[in-house]
Amino acid sequence: MNAPAIASESPATAATAAAIAVSSVSKWFDGSEGQSLLVLKDIDIQVPAQSILAILGASGCGKSTLLNIISGILRPDRGHVCINGIPSRDFQDWRSVSYMFQEDRLLPWRTALANVEFSLEAGKMPRAERRRRALEALQLVGLNGFEDAFPHQLSGGMRSRVALARSLVLDPCILLMDEPFSRLDAQTRSLMHQELLRIQQMKHMTIIFVTHDVEESVVLADRVVVLAPRPGRVREFVDIELDRPRDPTLPEVTRYIQRLRALL
Amino acid sequence: MPTVLEESIHARTPPRKWRISLVAQRFALLGVILAIWWIASLPMPHFILPGPPRVLEAFRTIAGNGDLWSNLGITLGRVGTGFLLATAVGLPLGIILGSNRRLGDFFEPIIPVMNTVSSAIWATFAIIWFGVSNATTVFVVFMTAMPLIITNVWQGTRTVNADFIELAQTLRMPAHKVMIKIYLPTILPYFFSGARLAFGFGWRVSLVAETLGSSSGVGYRLRQAADLIQTDQVFAWTITLVMMMAILEMGILRPLENHVFRWKKEAEGS
Repeated sequence: MNAPAIASESPATAATAAAIAVSSVSKWFDGSEGQSLLVLKDIDIQVPAQSILAILGASGCGKSTLLNIISGILRPDRGHVCINGIPSRDFQDWRSVSYMFQEDRLLPWRTALANVEFSLEAGKMPRAERRRRALEALQLVGLNGFEDAFPHQLSGGMRSRVALARSLVLDPCILLMDEPFSRLDAQTRSLMHQELLRIQQMKHMTIIFVTHDVEESVVLADRVVVLAPRPGRVREFVDIELDRPRDPTLPEVTRYIQRLRALL
Repeated sequence: MPTVLEESIHARTPPRKWRISLVAQRFALLGVILAIWWIASLPMPHFILPGPPRVLEAFRTIAGNGDLWSNLGITLGRVGTGFLLATAVGLPLGIILGSNRRLGDFFEPIIPVMNTVSSAIWATFAIIWFGVSNATTVFVVFMTAMPLIITNVWQGTRTVNADFIELAQTLRMPAHKVMIKIYLPTILPYFFSGARLAFGFGWRVSLVAETLGSSSGVGYRLRQAADLIQTDQVFAWTITLVMMMAILEMGILRPLENHVFRWKKEAEGS
């Protein structure tokens, strides 16, 4: 595989090809005593199409806030975000941008299949078409045979797969993930990493994910942006120039892990 | 992996043997009660405490001449109407009050006050306003059932998971679909327990209302039988009501609830 992410030193040249461009974004939150608190300061990030970017940082550095700004749920107070070259406030095609949360957030009263269909119910797609695509997505994450199971009947890893299928069923060109596998045990998590990489290869998605797990960022990402806390700002970009699959026990992988740990 | 699923499905139904013994226990209990009743009735005059055979005879009479079915139908119709009206008003009001904090805080004191007003008082007002008519009973059922439904739906609305709302937001789901697909399923268990309570209460107060302000229905016939010292008929009507409630509960409400809430964990359900 050839990762399309070549480290571009000047963000300006990458801007045209970037799937997502975050330009001098700042964000304030209301503090406890009526003061506003700066959570993100002058963030500049370019994400080339079909690449995987990890946003790495300790808790409280505003990485989830940054992801919410990229997804359009939050508005930046300064700066702007462009998606496929279109400023996010003018961007219409939000259904091509999928968001996967830290928790699986499966609706307990719906079966696995119906949970996946939920993503498609915001629009006006006919029922049969919804069903067909949801079945396809479940198959993609390896859950055929579990269509009619309710969430409480599934293991943590399977629930996570359903949540992934729910994100993928929209056929997104951009997938945003907020520590999506952090609640899984180590073995299941690395299994989900392989699945994610396999699907990303197949569907040519751009992925941005937030994590505090250094190893996860090295195993998955083409490029890691390390955030420094209070206020959240970019400390460094690190390009991971390694072939996949990346075994976290290999010396060249551990070297990256150590380097990133030192930056945190 | 499939074993996880299979296990939880098998755990769903209790062992067969255990269920059969439960049924046997219920019948034994019924037998004990009947026996006590029968023995107690032996030394008593029949207009004070009629025995089971005499009550069965009275039951046959009212069932045979159609008296039972027509009055039961009338009462059930009134309870049903009052209950449906209470649902139609209570469900949306509960959702509005639960989802809007300011409105909720403002109207909060009304509900406990309404709950404490005795149904006899509602019945008195109903007679003043509606006279001896169907509307009297319907009104009393409505005034009793509505606060119960509002309270439960209100509570349910407050438990709606903000995470699910956020999920719908990232999907850009329109507000009315969020209402139907997230609010309603969350509220449903609360609504159900409220409706169940409301129906039970409504059924009981309807008798009070019919005794006071009606010229038909089970409540009216109960009072009439008591006035004429037809104690065996009073017993027959009472047993009819008990059976009616048992059939509604076990034949309709519980199976419906089991079906609608089959997604719930076993631990929560029992």
